[in-house]
Amino acid sequence: MSIQRRRLLSATVALSLGTFVASGINATAEAQDGGGTLRVAILQDVSNFDPQSFLSLNFPLIKNLYDSLLEYGPDGEPLPSLASAWTIADDNMSVSLTLRDDVTFHSGAPMDAEAVAATLAKAADPETGQNVYATMAPVADWTVDGPHALTLNFKGPIPDRQITDLLQFISVIDPAGIDTVATVPAGTGAFTLVERVLGQSVQMAANPNYWRDGEPRVDELLITVFGDNDAASAALESDAVDMIYGGGGRAAVRLRDSGYQLIQGPGPLVQIFRINTTRGPFQNEQFRQAFNYLLDREAILRVGYAGLGVVTALPWAPASPAADPSYNETYAFDLDKAKELLDASGLSPDEMSDWQLLVNGADQDAVTISQLVQGTLAELGINVELDLRQGAEFTDAMLGGDYTAIFAGIGNIQKFPSRIATNSIYRTVNNPILGEPHPHQDYVAAIERVNTTLGSDEEVQAAYDNLNEVLVEASFGIPTNTFDVGLMVAAPDVSGFTPDIDNMLVARTITVAR
Amino acid sequence: MSASQRPALVAARRVLARKGAFMAASFLALMAIVAFLAPWILPGDPLTQNLRHALEPPSAAFWFGADELGRDILTRVVYGARTSLVTAMGAVTIAGLIGVPIGLVAGFYGGWRDAVLMRLVDVILALPGILFAMALIAVIGRSQLAALVAVGITGIPSFARITRAQVLSLRRRDFVIAVDALGGSASHLMFKTILPNSWSPILVQVVILAAVAILLEAALAFLGVGIPPPTPSWGEMLRTGKSYLYEAPYYAVLPGLVLTLTILSLDTLGRTLATVLEHRQGSTGEPEPEGQRL
Repeated sequence: MSIQRRRLLSATVALSLGTFVASGINATAEAQDGGGTLRVAILQDVSNFDPQSFLSLNFPLIKNLYDSLLEYGPDGEPLPSLASAWTIADDNMSVSLTLRDDVTFHSGAPMDAEAVAATLAKAADPETGQNVYATMAPVADWTVDGPHALTLNFKGPIPDRQITDLLQFISVIDPAGIDTVATVPAGTGAFTLVERVLGQSVQMAANPNYWRDGEPRVDELLITVFGDNDAASAALESDAVDMIYGGGGRAAVRLRDSGYQLIQGPGPLVQIFRINTTRGPFQNEQFRQAFNYLLDREAILRVGYAGLGVVTALPWAPASPAADPSYNETYAFDLDKAKELLDASGLSPDEMSDWQLLVNGADQDAVTISQLVQGTLAELGINVELDLRQGAEFTDAMLGGDYTAIFAGIGNIQKFPSRIATNSIYRTVNNPILGEPHPHQDYVAAIERVNTTLGSDEEVQAAYDNLNEVLVEASFGIPTNTFDVGLMVAAPDVSGFTPDIDNMLVARTITVAR
Repeated sequence: MSASQRPALVAARRVLARKGAFMAASFLALMAIVAFLAPWILPGDPLTQNLRHALEPPSAAFWFGADELGRDILTRVVYGARTSLVTAMGAVTIAGLIGVPIGLVAGFYGGWRDAVLMRLVDVILALPGILFAMALIAVIGRSQLAALVAVGITGIPSFARITRAQVLSLRRRDFVIAVDALGGSASHLMFKTILPNSWSPILVQVVILAAVAILLEAALAFLGVGIPPPTPSWGEMLRTGKSYLYEAPYYAVLPGLVLTLTILSLDTLGRTLATVLEHRQGSTGEPEPEGQRL
């Protein structure tokens, strides 16, 4: 090798090393200052951009494109957001809001009381209110008191927690874009939409006029739809993405054991064996009640969710004020007790077997736990078939109530107990599964009692206890376990996670040290 | 004609004389026998769950390991063979019973009948098999019968076209013209004279379609539109096993291996059969007339 070539080689190596060191310094600086792109893998494409379409499909978007009137901390304490202050009237008949005056929508229009009023009007309309509509039920009307002041009036006195739940549920929409919000986001959030490629990705850029100082920390948010847990895991392991949002428990545990960060938020879902009590053998109350004993909750949690969660016989997260762990003991897996109730139902084996269990065929965990139940039922001489459907066919059947029984998660279980009624099977009015009039009036009355009990702690607790008893007796939803919606698995160099009470993706505080 | 001289037996001997084809046939025969005798020779039930053994690796108790619900994978693979074989036989039967008469009529009569029938066949052929099967299952629902019918319908064109080609080739042969001249009816000509002399390529097609049917059934199950669980199916096992590839690689690999060997065996058998029958025809320059006695 000639001297010139050696020099050239040395220079090249030195240049490469210098570039490598410099890039390391830059990476460190970027880690401190933020910037760059946060690449997130999700497993199902988002549904739309309407923040009132409060589906878990949209959880990667809502907190990044929009802000709500107030937020909850991880322990459930209400925190200011677009509403800088709120005052609940002494008689709990109204709440007065003071809005921030330094917030603009992505369009540049100011966020003010008129915008909040327009958002409330959308939420209160059964045609447009989507999942927020039920939460608006106690609201009588609202008055705009000034450019940044507003008062909500209620039909009757309602508990403080229910009021803050409502405010946390309201993401303010730009009135100019409210009619097209499903396809064109119109929020105040930390990111603005750049491009959505249907079924593939959502690209967002940092909102340069965002009102929270120093946020968002990254310049760009790129959400890619993988549609397959293993593909997303492989992408994370090959550094093609920085984190997975909404992945499955088993893959998450494996990645955690390989050195990745596993982040569980404060807002799990509860898996519910939903029952259409207007169909087949489930019209029989004792037949339904038997399912409180014949669902092996421990096995479902272990097999379906890699043990990430807790078993529960009631539809509450452990942090819910209505949670009562004693029910887990009382209604533990017990085939003998289940058989007693089945015998007492008076139904023949053929009648007991005359139904199908609807299953989301795209969800392997749901397929597995459904087979588990199918096996348990077979032990008792009840032979049922699984009705596997996928995609829109499954979603339509689930939301439209076209099923006899199904496993599906419910949310809002860590908030005010009556918020459970935002989930389709637990709705007290316009219930798409159980129909009108609601066939379980005891349940409707129990929810009403929870909503209207403002007395002592004992009275409030009695209302919760009554609700729990009614839920088990009516047995149109049999809870099995909590599980994490929005489970996050991230590379070690990703930091700054904000726990959201609903486990939504909050990307504005996240940084990547790349 | 003595039994030892029957063309079918001669062809079978020639096929089995080849090492690869013999191994393939042996594997398929073993698979069929084990699948048929499964309830008597296997200790367990493919549906019995035992969560204490969930995802247990291969051992003396579980030769192929256990799945996520503690079910014996070997037992499920064997019962899955039943599912695959029944689907293959049913699909081939449907395709043959519909496709062969279509090809016979189209080739024998020609003219507008040929045009209409072949255009119908072209319509089926134009649709990708798996998409057609998925659409059909979406309409009639998921079941073994649905998968079998869907796969069978997608096999109709191949039988129809091969039979038609054979009929067109045989229609002007002397022995056919002779039967025609002696007053043989159209149905006699088609089913007694031409069809028995067309069996060679149809037989090859039977073997090939059986492989395609097994593969298609597995693909449908893998995509989540096949036979619903808990019925054992190789495709379903691959689909589920894929989710446990890190924790229990044997779960997907072993059923996949059996599926691969089955397809490979059928393909080897089909190719050898085609070669042997080609040689047989090639040695005389034309197929040996058979079953033409009046």
